[in-house]
Amino acid sequence: MKMIRRAMVAIGMGALVAAAVRLRGSGVAPPRSGGWRELSGPGLD
Amino acid sequence: MLPHPDQVDGANSPDPVSTDMARIGILGVGAVGARLARQLVSTDDDQVVLRDERRNRVEVVANSLGDRATIDRGALDDPLDVDVVVLAGPARTQAHVAEQFVRRGIHVVSTTDDLTDVRALLALDQHARERNVHVVIGAGFAPGLTCVLAAHAAKKFEHVDEIHIAKSGTGGPACARQHHRALGRGAIDWRDGSWDARPGGSGRELCWFPDPIGPQDCYRAELPDALVIVPAFPGVRRVTSRVSATRRDRLTARLPMLWPTDPEGGPGAVRVEVRGRTDGRGSVLVYGAMDRPAVAAGAVAAVACRFIVEGSLKRFGAAGLAESVDSLAFLSELARRGVRAAVFEGETGL
Repeated sequence: MKMIRRAMVAIGMGALVAAAVRLRGSGVAPPRSGGWRELSGPGLD
Repeated sequence: MLPHPDQVDGANSPDPVSTDMARIGILGVGAVGARLARQLVSTDDDQVVLRDERRNRVEVVANSLGDRATIDRGALDDPLDVDVVVLAGPARTQAHVAEQFVRRGIHVVSTTDDLTDVRALLALDQHARERNVHVVIGAGFAPGLTCVLAAHAAKKFEHVDEIHIAKSGTGGPACARQHHRALGRGAIDWRDGSWDARPGGSGRELCWFPDPIGPQDCYRAELPDALVIVPAFPGVRRVTSRVSATRRDRLTARLPMLWPTDPEGGPGAVRVEVRGRTDGRGSVLVYGAMDRPAVAAGAVAAVACRFIVEGSLKRFGAAGLAESVDSLAFLSELARRGVRAAVFEGETGL
């Protein structure tokens, strides 16, 4: 019984760690400059 | 119809297609198939033959298209009297159907974005070449538009080193289910001349898509883009593809879909980053496009049909659009239909 309880606690903790790793924040967005321009002209440049 | 210079006439080649009014079969009239049918009927003046197991759906779509649309009640792989057949049905159904039509000498356009389908379709290459038949693989948003953008960007370089694809958004419910499945399955990257298997949902990268989609976290997934892009760029060192996903998407990717999807999909975007060298100097070019994925995929498939009908594809056999079309002509025709590409101008470290 004690062993089963320990196994269940270990599995639960593992699941919590996995969920935390999976859901962790994306951190700081890298810097960006510039923008999008529609391709135009005969060569679509 | 003028044959393309690269095309070789053969005794077993299919009948020439009249460019006046082609007959196009569309197998599957979901979000993409319906948009495609609308494009073919209204922009190209073609006749479309619709085939779908969902009787109500196919009747609704056919009624909305008028006299140029007819319904065929046959099974997906039954013979069909058409010039080109477009496979716009669900994933994992297309390879067998394509093989049947190639055997009959009918050109095939597939909108699939399923890795297994794309592998099986590529395996038809020799078979299709022998019959002088075109099998256009992945004529959709991604792969499809992404392949053409990569080919267009590659023209700016003497040598292409890396191509990185990202897409955001889904078309109809079938596309959303495919996106969900792909995120939970293994991805393949092309790295230094060999395929590299990586876990789906890994490799997070913040990608900037054309406005208003903007920045999205993108992950590896079971995407077929690299399979159709690598053969088009001999010597390319790395090809990767990613798809945008939320944390909920990643967490539930290995479960069945737990929530309903929008029948028409929302706005989406694609982004193609090409790294290459000219005169020994390396540089980066980033192209993208924003549209509703089903609308853009329908337009790409329609233009692919038009290119087949006009004999404008570069070669017979099974290949993606990067290998098959002149990117400038294809993008110009897409722009005429309202699907416009954009270039990112700014720092390369985006």
